[in-house]
Amino acid sequence: MNLGKILPILVFLPLAVGFVLLFLPNKIKFLSKALALIISVIAFALGIRIFSLGQLDYSFPVLQIGNVNLELLLSAKPLGAFILMFAMGFGLLITLYSLKVHAIHNTNIYYGAILLTIGGSAGILLSNHLLFLLIFWEMVTASLYLLITTGGKNSNFAATKSFAMIGASDAAFLLGILMVWALSGTFVISEIAKGPVATTSSIPIIAFLLLLTAAITKAGALPLHTWLPTSGEYAPVSVMALLPAALDKLLGIYLLVIIVREIFVLKSAALGVVLAFIGAATIIIAVMVAMVQHNLKKLLSYHAISQVGYMVLGIATGTPVGIAGAIFHMLNNAIYKCCLFLCGGAVEQQAGTPELDKLGGLGKKMPITFITCLIAALSISGIPPFNGFVSKWMVYQGIIQMGTSAQAGGAAKLWPIWFTCAMFGSALTLASFVKLIHSTFLSRLPEELKDVKEVSPLQTGPMIVLASLCVFLGIFYHVPLKYFIYPALDIEPGTAIFGTWASGLATLLLVAGIIIGGLILAVSLLSRKVRIVPTWTCGEVQTNDQMRISGTHFYKTVSSMGGLRQLYTGQEKGHFDTYNQSGRLGLALTEFLRWLHSGILPVYLTWVTLGLLIVLFIVCKIW
Amino acid sequence: MSVPLPVFVAIPLVTAFLLPVFAKRGKAVATVLANLATISLLVLAIASIGQSRVYEVGRWSIPLGINLVLDGLSSLLLLAISVVSTAAMFFSIRYMEQYTARAKYLSLFLLMVAGMNGVVLSGDIFNLFVFLEIASLASYALVGFGCGHEELEASFKYMVLGSIGSIFILFAVALVYGNTGSLNMAYISEAIQSNGLNPGLTFALGLFIVGFGLKAALVPFHAWLPDAHPSAPAPISAMLSGILIKTLGVYALARVVFNIFGISLATGWLLLTFGIVGMLVGAFMAFGQWDLKRLLAYSSISQVGYVMLGIGLGGLIIAKDGNLAWASLAILGGLFHLLNHAVYKSLLFLTSGSIQMSTGTRQLREMGGLAEKLPVTRATCTVASAAIAGIPPFSGFWSKLILVIASVQAGYYWVAAIIVFVSLCTLIMYLKVQRYVFLGELPENLQEITENRGSMLVAMVSLACLCVLMGLLLTPGLRASIFAPAVKVLVDGVSYSANVIGM
Repeated sequence: MNLGKILPILVFLPLAVGFVLLFLPNKIKFLSKALALIISVIAFALGIRIFSLGQLDYSFPVLQIGNVNLELLLSAKPLGAFILMFAMGFGLLITLYSLKVHAIHNTNIYYGAILLTIGGSAGILLSNHLLFLLIFWEMVTASLYLLITTGGKNSNFAATKSFAMIGASDAAFLLGILMVWALSGTFVISEIAKGPVATTSSIPIIAFLLLLTAAITKAGALPLHTWLPTSGEYAPVSVMALLPAALDKLLGIYLLVIIVREIFVLKSAALGVVLAFIGAATIIIAVMVAMVQHNLKKLLSYHAISQVGYMVLGIATGTPVGIAGAIFHMLNNAIYKCCLFLCGGAVEQQAGTPELDKLGGLGKKMPITFITCLIAALSISGIPPFNGFVSKWMVYQGIIQMGTSAQAGGAAKLWPIWFTCAMFGSALTLASFVKLIHSTFLSRLPEELKDVKEVSPLQTGPMIVLASLCVFLGIFYHVPLKYFIYPALDIEPGTAIFGTWASGLATLLLVAGIIIGGLILAVSLLSRKVRIVPTWTCGEVQTNDQMRISGTHFYKTVSSMGGLRQLYTGQEKGHFDTYNQSGRLGLALTEFLRWLHSGILPVYLTWVTLGLLIVLFIVCKIW
Repeated sequence: MSVPLPVFVAIPLVTAFLLPVFAKRGKAVATVLANLATISLLVLAIASIGQSRVYEVGRWSIPLGINLVLDGLSSLLLLAISVVSTAAMFFSIRYMEQYTARAKYLSLFLLMVAGMNGVVLSGDIFNLFVFLEIASLASYALVGFGCGHEELEASFKYMVLGSIGSIFILFAVALVYGNTGSLNMAYISEAIQSNGLNPGLTFALGLFIVGFGLKAALVPFHAWLPDAHPSAPAPISAMLSGILIKTLGVYALARVVFNIFGISLATGWLLLTFGIVGMLVGAFMAFGQWDLKRLLAYSSISQVGYVMLGIGLGGLIIAKDGNLAWASLAILGGLFHLLNHAVYKSLLFLTSGSIQMSTGTRQLREMGGLAEKLPVTRATCTVASAAIAGIPPFSGFWSKLILVIASVQAGYYWVAAIIVFVSLCTLIMYLKVQRYVFLGELPENLQEITENRGSMLVAMVSLACLCVLMGLLLTPGLRASIFAPAVKVLVDGVSYSANVIGM
């Protein structure tokens, strides 16, 4: 039997079932849950199988229009297969987690769209034909829209905005693909890769920028990121964990790698700077905005943007270690960000609100959520020995290597700037997670949340799996690098050695440090005498229970700093939002046209007369 | 099976004059008869796919007699007309219960169908005009069918502008007759080929373009459409937007420009420009609308622009002596979009009718959260929106893809960019529809509404299935029998005359 046949099964089985689920009447909820679970298990199993089998190909001629050959070409290449395995894994985890989520309106559309997402992502990662890649890409966009709409009454704006913005980038994608086709004469990626398009003249550069737009919009990098926080606020958290946090990153960065490595050869120094600038700006700006957020989900969404910056920056370095670091960071980010969103979702579900002001002290009530969230938070902040540290470390190495290497490019000369942004961004990430952990899990428990309980095992399960992956991939980082990432990028294991980071020893030392610190704390707590008295404020005595420091204002000093304050208010009002600005422009044009359409018959007759004159002028050649 | 061509006109015409006999008592009989007529037309249209022949009325051979010509382009249009009219007629069974004078409605409807079929089949330019007037007059009456203030105003505007278009066409027909001595399209074409164009004929060509442009609602001749299409009852809006503007406008224009006069650089550019301007103006106007049917009407202007763009681009490539395969691709895109638009726009108007019947309003701001109350309408409307916005794998994606590929291939990158941009605008306007109609909060006064049942659902669901499946028309077998002959008619241009006279 030809093993290549399992490729289309993995793509079209979830798509077909998902499509049918969308139209099922609302009464049969059980069926859609069961089907979604079964299919996602099958998809995960097939994903692992495909990765273990190595190179597989499948082709099926679909259409021949003119000289355009639309052939379904699926092939499992190392990079795609490795990402595929993880993508299917995320799909399964989220399906499991969703079974117990109550905040979903319209269950059938939700599970149908989850399956469409799974099938579509598989299609993107396996597709070797650019047009099919685009088709699957748009299916994932459409299913994100459907998923956001299941968030209830207020999600309609977020869904519309997301679809409009990603739809715009999909349009750019289509144009870009066709320009690549016009330049290289084929849609097949592996054919293009034999003689990539050199970005030396304007048409290839435009094509590159169009494809770049598609990749960074999906991944959520500046300046086309604004759909992400809006949907973060209103969509069900499981949706955010699945798409914007995990799969959209995998797909967007996958596309970026394909563009940079297989479709184009970057010959223009300016493009390198553009790419690195997008990366660095995304890291810093998004994290600055994240610091001052009051809403748990929105804060996480801004971090989901900020982390993309590291991946883009890593790819922009063009060095093997930088690209490997970017891919590794993509995987790590998907893991911890997914975990963070799931924790956030658990908190919101049990406490009934995602507002940091109203949360607090949940650490004791929800210990598993707390621990997993803490691990993921340390990971995202780049604290050793967790996985986020390793990949960030690799990206730093990549930047330094680019700066010190002999290659003279614009981006290479500016390396200290990129480096500073990356480091500083990491510090700010830590700062903002200190705020999150404090105000959700540590500070005093509000009266209303006394009865909060831990979520069900179906929900803690995925969180535990993801948190343990954070630890595992951090300590044994050699494993994923050696088995997944170096083969996927054709890097000789020896060439990409970076720093001397002995994770085993360092972990032992860290653990020892923590134990010693704990001992010191315990001793000092025991030996010191503490007196607890009510708080006395201006003659009023207040009970200690009322004294809460919620943590939402930790960084108020930053946001009220001169210069920054104006920027923050502008951001809050949407002045820097591409969606709002282009919407305003479009409406202005519409208003003008409406003014022309006055509804008065003689005016319309005048138009007809003018039109007639123009037509006669052109047809009868009266000039 | 070879279908006698006059049947396409005779069935609806005879039924139309028969129906008023049933008056008030026999409403049910009249409805059944009218549906039988449209269904039989659908069957005949499907049976005549891939055939081409000439029928001489009364055995009077041309140029003395009148002839009916069935070729690829006609049979494509016949198919589109019969699909849309069958669905709209079936939808009317339940929808028209809110109106009186059922028999009159049905006979006007069938008169319109007879007129359109006649336009498509006519091989004679004066008969084309006559059938065009039959269809137009029926549509003026149907737009004002509600007899409300708005409907009558819209109908009046439509009638004034439509009559101006008809007069231009009639004037052009007279000029052509005076200059070539024939009314038969094949003979006119032959005369033009042998004698060349004189100023009178070019003037006639200009008048034809404006006249048919008025019927096709090309910008700037579109002003009647946004009033007329929303005012008509929903199934009629579906007919008008779905098929009438294409038959009376796009088809007739393409026939005259390509087959009679022969495409030239100037006319090619003109059609392409009309297409692009229409796409942009229609899309931007549609954004700003808060009346559901008005939004759909402006979107029709934008979508007809796509069809014109495809045909115009193909014509331009032919006129430049470019690669004929590229021209065929562009025209294929245009014609495929014509068929797709006929299906999904009529579906959208039918769903708007279903929404209006349930909620009693067309204003987007007065609706919201209808997804739970009207699940089938929501599903079908979403499918149609996805199709018109060009989301794969729905039908609209494929036709737009072909158009984009054709324009990139011919080197018109900017045209490709405009197509993609307008496609994005279309996506955004239908997201607006979804957002305000089906998502969000259900207003207090709409808590009690229920889904419509019966014939309306059947019509909507079957058109929605077509939207999903129409991408399959591109598969080699179906493409060869449906689109290839139609594309060939336009690409072959003036050799139409030789084909018809030789047949």
